[in-house]
Amino acid sequence: MMMSLFLPLLLVSVLFMSSFSEVQGRKWKGEGTTQNLESIAIGRCYDYIRIVNPAVGEKNCSEIWEAFKSAFINKDPCSILPEDYELFINLSLHTIPANKSLFWENNQLLVNSFADRGRRYMSVGDTLFGFFGDFLNWCGQANSSGLDYESCPTTMECETNAVDSFWRMASITYAKHSSGEIHVLLNGSAVGGAYPQPSFFADYEIPNLQKDKISQIVIWVVDDIEGPDLDSCGIHSVKILETRLKTLGYNVTCIDNYKSVVFLLCLDYPDNSKCAVPSSAPAGQRGPISSDRGGSWNKLMFVSFVGFLFRFALVY
Amino acid sequence: MPFQQGSARTRQRTVLLVGIVLLLATLVLAVVLASLLTHGKHEDSPKMLKWKDRGTTKNLQEVILGRCYNYITERYPELGDKDCLKIWESLKDAFIYKNPCNITTEDYQPLMELASHPIPCNKSLFWSKTNDLVHRYTKSNQNFLTLEDTLLGYMADRISWCGDPSAPGINYESCPKRSECESNPSSVFWKMASKMFAEAACGVVQVMLNGSIEAGAFRSTSIFGSIEVFNLNPDKVSEVHIWVMHDIGGPQSESCSGHSIQRLKNILEERNFKIICEDNYRPVQLLQCVHNPDHTDCRLCTNSTAVP
Repeated sequence: MMMSLFLPLLLVSVLFMSSFSEVQGRKWKGEGTTQNLESIAIGRCYDYIRIVNPAVGEKNCSEIWEAFKSAFINKDPCSILPEDYELFINLSLHTIPANKSLFWENNQLLVNSFADRGRRYMSVGDTLFGFFGDFLNWCGQANSSGLDYESCPTTMECETNAVDSFWRMASITYAKHSSGEIHVLLNGSAVGGAYPQPSFFADYEIPNLQKDKISQIVIWVVDDIEGPDLDSCGIHSVKILETRLKTLGYNVTCIDNYKSVVFLLCLDYPDNSKCAVPSSAPAGQRGPISSDRGGSWNKLMFVSFVGFLFRFALVY
Repeated sequence: MPFQQGSARTRQRTVLLVGIVLLLATLVLAVVLASLLTHGKHEDSPKMLKWKDRGTTKNLQEVILGRCYNYITERYPELGDKDCLKIWESLKDAFIYKNPCNITTEDYQPLMELASHPIPCNKSLFWSKTNDLVHRYTKSNQNFLTLEDTLLGYMADRISWCGDPSAPGINYESCPKRSECESNPSSVFWKMASKMFAEAACGVVQVMLNGSIEAGAFRSTSIFGSIEVFNLNPDKVSEVHIWVMHDIGGPQSESCSGHSIQRLKNILEERNFKIICEDNYRPVQLLQCVHNPDHTDCRLCTNSTAVP
């Protein structure tokens, strides 16, 4: 009785699975091209040169888009090389101000916040070529001039895909044009080490740094606020990194839990002990309307009163 | 007398030649003059109005479209039904070919309707004189939304636009400042968008004010003080949390007990809102400390160690 039920069930489930995958029709395992990629990319290009960083001067964003497309359109999506983006890079390249380069691993959102869209530091995502492609996905298809919106190959399926090769080329370019004091922000809580290998930083950025243009390399190893302290300056993978850079002839400094970055991480954990401040004045005084700041209150009232009188006098 | 006939012919030919040369010269002169005059006319013909502020951002269409799609893709995929092309067209129609001192709320109505979207409760963050700080905060902490974090504000932030009655209808050279005329495209837009942002707020709302400026943390002339405060809906909004922030190491011109904050409190109480005020709201102060890590206000209990 069980056997007579089991076989039909098995048959049905096999049929269902095969029809399911056929209906999916997905060639690859990764997400497809981002919808409206062309409008987003061209819009970002103009946004960058008009608003974000007008110092880069005039660029032809349509030409840049065409050059970008030509790297992967009408090709096998597993056959894209970093060099295919050379024209795109040539058209979108601009100076990276000295002392502003910020390399990173395993902390992209933190780096975005910390760099403050190029005002404090200029990470690869704050250059025109990086800004162009950040957080987007794309791939083409052989024998077709269209983008594949259904699926794109993952790194596991093939390394030489459109997106990975883009970031390799962007990383190489970014490293080549960095100068002065450069910084690298690493995650001390990352499993696999703060300085991962292989990685963009290890394989495409360090080898392309221009020694004669770089005065110093500053490494920041910052742990997640609620994360473990797996790696620090002078040990494990960070030690490997420091040794590698020193052997290459660079001046290297390493700082654990650089305060500025810790403050930024503390935004999400203001009550964590790592984020506590020795209180002279209470950190925040909740309460209806008035907040009593002790001795300074009277001074404040006096100043406000004088200010009010002064304004009153001015108006009348 | 062949010789005399020959010289007469020569003279005739000479006269003819001179005449042709003169004619050609006149023609050339006429062409040159004509081109000079029309060139001069081209320079004069746009006759666009001249204003004191920067002109329309170049490539406005591409930037707006790109931002619209980017916002939907990156920040708010639930808005996938928004038609960015229509949104762009409605923005353009609001100001193109119009005198930039005659813009009305009706001009922007279609755009406002197309681009507005619901705001989650307890997330609205208003601000006044804290532009830089408040947006660094919402960028690092997704718990709150300023107007510039909604689709409308995101598209329009740091962009300028204005029209002109003469072709091509958009003025890329200059746009009116508020002091030149109040009903300019930018002022009308931001006032209207601010009003709608306030109307859409629900639950607990927050406002970040600057306690380090002399003119007072709360000003009735600001957009917050003149528009947003009065368009909060008491049926939807339960509480208003006020954060009075001081610059690190900066003057403490005002705090929660200050005069202008008292005025704000009065206005809000009259409209039946519960109020909580906090000086130097801790998470935002932490953000300020990113730029001033060594200031005494930013000492941490745990010290970082530098390993050379």
